[in-house]
Amino acid sequence: MIKLLGSAMVVAASGLGGIAVAGGYSRRPKELRSIRSALQMLETEISYGATHLQEALSLVAERCDKNVAYIFNRTAAELSARTGSTAAQAWEKSINGYYRESALKAQDLSILRNLGSSLGISDREDQIKHLRLAMEQIGNESFRAEEEAARNVKLWSYLGFLSGFLVVIVLY
Amino acid sequence: MNNADQQFPVLRRSGAGVLEEILPLLPVNIRRLIICLDLSLKEKIEEIRIRQGKPLSLILSAGDILISREGRPARQVSEAYLVTQVDMEGLIHLLSGSSLYALEEELRTGFITLPGGHRAGITGKAVLEGGKVKTLKNLSCCNIRVSREVFGAASEVLPQIIDKKCSGIYHTLLVSPPRCGKTTILRDLIRQVSTGDPAYGIPGLTVGLVDERSEIAGCYRGIPQRDIGIRTDVLDGCPKAEGMMMLLRSMGPQVIATDEIGRREDADALEEVLNAGVKILTTAHGSSLADLAERPVLSNLIRTKIFERIIILGRSRGVGTIEDIIDGKSFRSLGVKK
Repeated sequence: MIKLLGSAMVVAASGLGGIAVAGGYSRRPKELRSIRSALQMLETEISYGATHLQEALSLVAERCDKNVAYIFNRTAAELSARTGSTAAQAWEKSINGYYRESALKAQDLSILRNLGSSLGISDREDQIKHLRLAMEQIGNESFRAEEEAARNVKLWSYLGFLSGFLVVIVLY
Repeated sequence: MNNADQQFPVLRRSGAGVLEEILPLLPVNIRRLIICLDLSLKEKIEEIRIRQGKPLSLILSAGDILISREGRPARQVSEAYLVTQVDMEGLIHLLSGSSLYALEEELRTGFITLPGGHRAGITGKAVLEGGKVKTLKNLSCCNIRVSREVFGAASEVLPQIIDKKCSGIYHTLLVSPPRCGKTTILRDLIRQVSTGDPAYGIPGLTVGLVDERSEIAGCYRGIPQRDIGIRTDVLDGCPKAEGMMMLLRSMGPQVIATDEIGRREDADALEEVLNAGVKILTTAHGSSLADLAERPVLSNLIRTKIFERIIILGRSRGVGTIEDIIDGKSFRSLGVKK
């Protein structure tokens, strides 16, 4: 009886582990899509409204997907504190904070970081160019992430349970 | 409005406190140096000049000084703190609120108005489009002019320009060399005329202000940052001649105020204003009547006796000294209390 209970627990644990890994794969494309659409909103604010960056970021944070609002909210807060940090520094802090909690990969972070270094310091056309470039790169990453997710989500969820069974069979 | 301010003209926003509005806009290194300075120096800062790769310098009422790396006046150029590229980038970020793209119009005119009505003049490389300046890039020099509002600066002038007969004011021209408090006195005149003062027998008049260089009202995003009275309508950043006509047509002013007239079209617009029975309050560069007589547009205005009062400012007894008040019809001095 105890053996049976133990085996069930092993299968459940490894199964859940697999699902967690699979979840990571499916979270990344979702996050990338949200970031992309948030950047699209930012571009609209900058190109049509010529809204000041801090205000534009707050507006985007209100409207965009909740899971990425953190980046925009925190950058806006950092800028409004007037501690002397530039938009690039504020952005860097926010994306680093976000990166730790997110499913993003290092290459996604570096796209965002590149965008940050040019945020707010050039004329409108230039800003739009930088935002479009970042959106396109994120779009590519998101496409790749989706492919990857399609392959890996199933694989990992099966793999988790099956490896659990394997352990049980070997030990039984 | 604050009653105490009107009854007891006080110096407000004039000491080192004004700097508190500017410090958050300076990059950390430069901010630290300026905080370190003696209070007596801080009170006298008129301009902060920041040039990339050059010593950080401050313009005080008495002249300019360089700031050392320890935050003290430097005795030699070699001691001075050199502004780095990082400082300059940080400065531009902070001045523009990291939104340079939203300031294209301002960059074209060469300056940004900051919260509090201070102004930052900026130079760099001009980007041309069709032969006209489109914007600036590679910004490398910046001059932050500390704007000080002196309540009661015009109290000495005000009684001289009040026309008791029609409880209004005379057409008035303030004449002064640069940096003698012309704008400060004009601003305070506008405030007092617009708010009104029973002690001088002047009711509040509707004032239309054309603030071409955003210096008088110090508008930040359209909102005046300076106290310019309760009956003043401001047209910010508008060319003077056009602005005067716009105000005349749309706002029904009793007084039209503007600064630094001197171009032909300004004179034409002034004539139009005059014909509409609106009083004029304006300024011109110069140090005496003879000076003005050499400039065609102004000499013409004076010869036709448009202005009823001409007030000459100087700094013989400090910034904003009233050197002379002249009756524009008879060209006689009305005398000044020394």
